[in-house]
Amino acid sequence: MQQNPAVSVPVKKPHEPQRRSDWKQAVLLLLPMIAFVLVFTYLPAGMSLVLGLFHYHLLGVHTTFAGFTNFKDALTYPIFWIALKNTLIYAVYMVPLTIAGAIGVALLIDHKSRYYAMLRTFVLLPYITPVIATAIGWLWMFNPQYGIFNVVLHWLHLPQSQWLQSPRMAMPSVALYTLWHGLGFNVVIVLSALSSIPKHVQEAASIDGATGWTRFRRITLPLLSPTVFFLLIVTTIGTLQAFSQIYALSGGTGGPAYATTTLLLLIYQTAFQDFHFSYAASMAMLLVLLILLLTLVQNWLSKRWVFYQ
Amino acid sequence: MSARIARPTPPNRRKILTGFRAVVSLAVGLAFLFPLYIAFVTSLDTAGQVFVFPPHLVPSFDFSSYVRVWQMARWAMYYGNTLFITLTTIIIALATSILSGYALSFLQFKGRNAVFMMFLLVLMVPAEALLIPNYVILHEMNLLNTRWAQILPYGASVFGVFLLRQFFLGLPKSYWEAAKMDGASHLRFLWSVAVPLAKPVLFTISLFIFIGSWNSFQWPLIVTTSHSVQPVEVEVSRLMLAHSVDWRRLSAAGIMTTMPLVVLFLFLQRHIIRGISRGEGLQE
Repeated sequence: MQQNPAVSVPVKKPHEPQRRSDWKQAVLLLLPMIAFVLVFTYLPAGMSLVLGLFHYHLLGVHTTFAGFTNFKDALTYPIFWIALKNTLIYAVYMVPLTIAGAIGVALLIDHKSRYYAMLRTFVLLPYITPVIATAIGWLWMFNPQYGIFNVVLHWLHLPQSQWLQSPRMAMPSVALYTLWHGLGFNVVIVLSALSSIPKHVQEAASIDGATGWTRFRRITLPLLSPTVFFLLIVTTIGTLQAFSQIYALSGGTGGPAYATTTLLLLIYQTAFQDFHFSYAASMAMLLVLLILLLTLVQNWLSKRWVFYQ
Repeated sequence: MSARIARPTPPNRRKILTGFRAVVSLAVGLAFLFPLYIAFVTSLDTAGQVFVFPPHLVPSFDFSSYVRVWQMARWAMYYGNTLFITLTTIIIALATSILSGYALSFLQFKGRNAVFMMFLLVLMVPAEALLIPNYVILHEMNLLNTRWAQILPYGASVFGVFLLRQFFLGLPKSYWEAAKMDGASHLRFLWSVAVPLAKPVLFTISLFIFIGSWNSFQWPLIVTTSHSVQPVEVEVSRLMLAHSVDWRRLSAAGIMTTMPLVVLFLFLQRHIIRGISRGEGLQE
């Protein structure tokens, strides 16, 4: 359509002027978020890469270049290896226990009724409780003389345990608390995945003669596998980051005899009790590398067993 | 060759199975409740009842431990700190996420996806890598040992941005076109139309920030030393280390600080479960 040039207004290109005005507003609206992200994530992430390479002190003393000495010191520090071993062994049983436990409890209470909804409430409740406050009750239950665990073992005529005071049982005791506190979160995720599995698939298999176990093994589990993979990644990271419950249950020491000294607890003690920041930062970097490595391995392995619909 | 055919379970056996499942489930459920219950019982014990063998499971409703533990610490101050830190974190995180969530959905500009990616990348940074550098940053900002040191690092909620952007993208563009006709600016539209519509999302985000912030322990422990700025959790940990055999009072302190969250949970359970199912609970 031709317009009379005399009355034509300059034809706007549809988007350009609007885009320019949006640009200014976008900067304004995004600025607060970007500022927070830059200062408290990107900047420290960058610093974490280099902090280990220096001798940094909070007050007075000049920061000097250290090269890899901090890393070398960490790798030749016996406690570092104990902490690494504790962290890895803890993860090796904690991760499968959490996932298997979550699937088991979820299958058990996956039922639409008030009764089972109430039980789901009980299972999830610990997840939102503060760790330090609820660890008190557990410290009491773990008490070797008067705690409920040893009382029950005594009634059952089974050998009692020193629980948190025994170097062998301290970490498993921490695991028990952690399962209690965190399992509900995983159960809710599995329940939500279960609810998205179409009922007719199960029914069809049932009509074809599949037993309960076969249905679980051949239908439910493959359909759950993306969820299991998600839980695997999240639980592994969470397990390697365990801190508050260990601090609470070991009285802040990581004892007895370093039995509950995990990498993060050691990093905390090195940085914020002994104030060796750069040394601790190099350990933190090693922990990050460990997490990265495990995540990559799990990701790679997942191609063999995760089934996407 | 006979195929294995699952025969329909006879009604009697099915009844037994259903009952069995109900009983086992109940046992599991109670096992999760029990540690809270035993702390509750211990907190209400009389002085002579604690170190008794075997332990008892019926509370005696002696509230003296609560009275005593209330006098042991300046709880009002610690609760005040926790409340201030939690609410301020929620306000700041909501503000940053609303503004950027809106910009990333209603505004057209170059690099929109790049900015969104930059926010999402935050989730890939492991928290323990940030502990020491963030401490150093707060030291350089002269903010160590303040309430702000416990708030500002949590001022950006990536999940908040993610959820709000998602929600805003789902709103019909015609709302904005109509508002623009009436001469509304983006900010005005955001404040009087988009935000009220997003209330349920804002509520979920606030709820999870609340739980995370109320329960946070590691970071306050690291960045604070004076009692006057510390939250309840840090004070409870100090009591725990100092009075490690006074189980009645420790239990009372534990129950006192757990109860607000239990009450919150019982009222808002539905939202919490929905939030976890969508993966929002991960931000702690």
